[in-house]
Amino acid sequence: MAQTPDTTAHDERRSPGPESDLSFGERFYLREAIKGMGVVARHFWRNLFGFRDPNPEVMERRGPGVNLVSTISYPEERKPYPPGYRGMHRLTIRPDGRPRCVACYMCATACPAQCIYIEAGEYDDQAIEKYPVRFEIDELRCIVCGFCVEACPKDAIRMDTGTHAPSVLSRPLAVFDKEALLKGPPIEHPSDVLTYRVPLRTVAPPDEDRGTSE
Amino acid sequence: MAGHRPHPYPDAIAPDSRLHPEPPPPPPGVKLPIPPLATPLASLAAKDFGSSVPPKPEFWAWLAATTAGWAAFAVALLAVSWVLYFIVWLFKTIFQDRPNLAGGLGEAIGNIVALILVLIMVTATLLTMAERKWSALMQDRVGPNRARLPIPGLSERPLKGIPHILADVLKMLFKEDFIPEGATRNKFLFNLAPLLAFAPAFCLFAVVPVGPEVTFLGKRIALQVARVDWGILYVFALASLAVFGTALAGWTSNNKLALLGGLRASAQLVSYEVTLGLTLVGTFIVFGTLRLESMVAQQGPSEAMLLSAMRTGGSADGTLVFGWLPGWGALFQPLGMVLFLVAAMAEIKRAPFDTPEGESEIIGYFLEYSGLKSGLFLIAEFAEVVVVAGIVTAIFLGGYHIPWFEPQLARALGIPGLAVVQVFTFLVKMLLLIWVQMLARWAFPRFRFDQIMRLGWKMMLPVSLANVVLTAGVWLWAGREGVAWMGILEWAALLGFIALSAGAKESAEPGSHTSTAAAH
Repeated sequence: MAQTPDTTAHDERRSPGPESDLSFGERFYLREAIKGMGVVARHFWRNLFGFRDPNPEVMERRGPGVNLVSTISYPEERKPYPPGYRGMHRLTIRPDGRPRCVACYMCATACPAQCIYIEAGEYDDQAIEKYPVRFEIDELRCIVCGFCVEACPKDAIRMDTGTHAPSVLSRPLAVFDKEALLKGPPIEHPSDVLTYRVPLRTVAPPDEDRGTSE
Repeated sequence: MAGHRPHPYPDAIAPDSRLHPEPPPPPPGVKLPIPPLATPLASLAAKDFGSSVPPKPEFWAWLAATTAGWAAFAVALLAVSWVLYFIVWLFKTIFQDRPNLAGGLGEAIGNIVALILVLIMVTATLLTMAERKWSALMQDRVGPNRARLPIPGLSERPLKGIPHILADVLKMLFKEDFIPEGATRNKFLFNLAPLLAFAPAFCLFAVVPVGPEVTFLGKRIALQVARVDWGILYVFALASLAVFGTALAGWTSNNKLALLGGLRASAQLVSYEVTLGLTLVGTFIVFGTLRLESMVAQQGPSEAMLLSAMRTGGSADGTLVFGWLPGWGALFQPLGMVLFLVAAMAEIKRAPFDTPEGESEIIGYFLEYSGLKSGLFLIAEFAEVVVVAGIVTAIFLGGYHIPWFEPQLARALGIPGLAVVQVFTFLVKMLLLIWVQMLARWAFPRFRFDQIMRLGWKMMLPVSLANVVLTAGVWLWAGREGVAWMGILEWAALLGFIALSAGAKESAEPGSHTSTAAAH
């Protein structure tokens, strides 16, 4: 026996008419109207008396007495961006407070938007030779591709601030200089041993120098 | 801003690096070349550094704040009730010393100030905000909360959106009063239309009794502007005047969509006035009067009854039906109440009967108005909401009467104290009905115009006629208690129908059309 058409199944092609799928109670409207008002009233009272749960994970706003509002009031409340989010740049700091940047121009070279401007200066120092006198990023030009972070050999530029570039009232304010970009806790790296464990302006003994560098 | 937060995901980018919670002190003799975060630009950047989440409120603090807030609201309403009486008393006292003026004039002017200028105006103004806030609550939103008062201490608090009222009013006041080119031919009528829409809405409240007539601070005053024999007929007459405003606005705007809105408004208002009048005939039969204040007076103990109860110490209330049911209009005329509420919502063009406005299809009869004229149309609509709530409260929900406990309250508070509590009761009932109208607005989709006409002429008009005939017959046959029995049966039939049809719906056999549709 082949498939027999199920005559009781809902036919999608049939146009919905007033007598199609509605029971008498639904067509009478009054009961459905009162039910609908009940739904709206439930939402009203729950939201009126409920807690405001500020959990930025909206889907986790559960529990007794928590209202159903899923708004995050943006400037006051912020949802952290996900891991790996490429946010605003920052220049990292060595534990002694100097910038990690050695002004090698690799980020500026890699930048497809050419938004990084660097002027190099020299330390009177054997361990770290160069530093940026000026390091400016035009956040309006930046296309947030992250190539500068990839290019940096010293972990000196990061995009892990977890925020985007702030809105500004005029274009020059969107050019962030070195002072604005240097922030966050200091970062040390195993390869940094030479550069900050050794006091400045001192020359390490040759043996010790060779031992650590290999 | 709370300053620096630790980086949320430092190791995601450079897993080899380690974070120092505190920077180690620099080696001696080393000058830090860069002071961090020194320039204004740097502080700007630091402002948006990282995310901040306010803490979740403690339960007990929330409970205390909520209780305190609602208690403050109740106390404020009670104070408003007293102030309403006090305003009338003040005007009566001022005018009493003038020998040339009639004694009732001061009371009437006081009532106009207290009820129409203070009560209606303030409530309608607050409703502009309440509608936005309540609709937000009904739709799981926050609602407007961005406007701030530039007052130290309050400048960071949203204050439940109240400052938006001020912002809205200022916006309307300072907007350009624009008259479109097509409307300049009938400039006078174009300017007249908002007034014609606005004035009836405010005058309507004149016959609604907010408080009983009592001796307040030695003066005999009542909270009602006009006590006239033709009370409810005045309401019908002025309600039908409102159609002039909308029709004129639609026509003089010289705009197709505005004209369409005006046409729809005229047809709808004229149609629903018939039902509006007929639904109240049943209450005329039951209460035997057209005066709203005597309708209210019959729904609870009168002052003489209360005085005798205070003297004798009894707590019997002779107006209770069967000895325990408060004799409200809702008991005698449930069908009339539902029909009147629906017809009144159609009459004031509120959703779901808002095809004359229909902001998503035609903008409506006030399409070409700007600034304060547009604001007049809006505030007229909110004033009508308040008036409908007041009239339904007075006729069907017992007005200012408190069921069962009035003799006890009169003994505890005295007659003037009870009157203040009664005004408070009226305000609470009125607020509840305003809320119900807002609820209906956000629960129902807008009807199509032909559906509105069909509902009005083919359903509500016959049902209201049947209600009149039935009430009259039962009244002749069995009197007041018979009508009460009829009302109880109507309530039972309504609730029973809802309960039974809901049960039948759930017990429908699986696989049938009905349950398939329900599963969708």
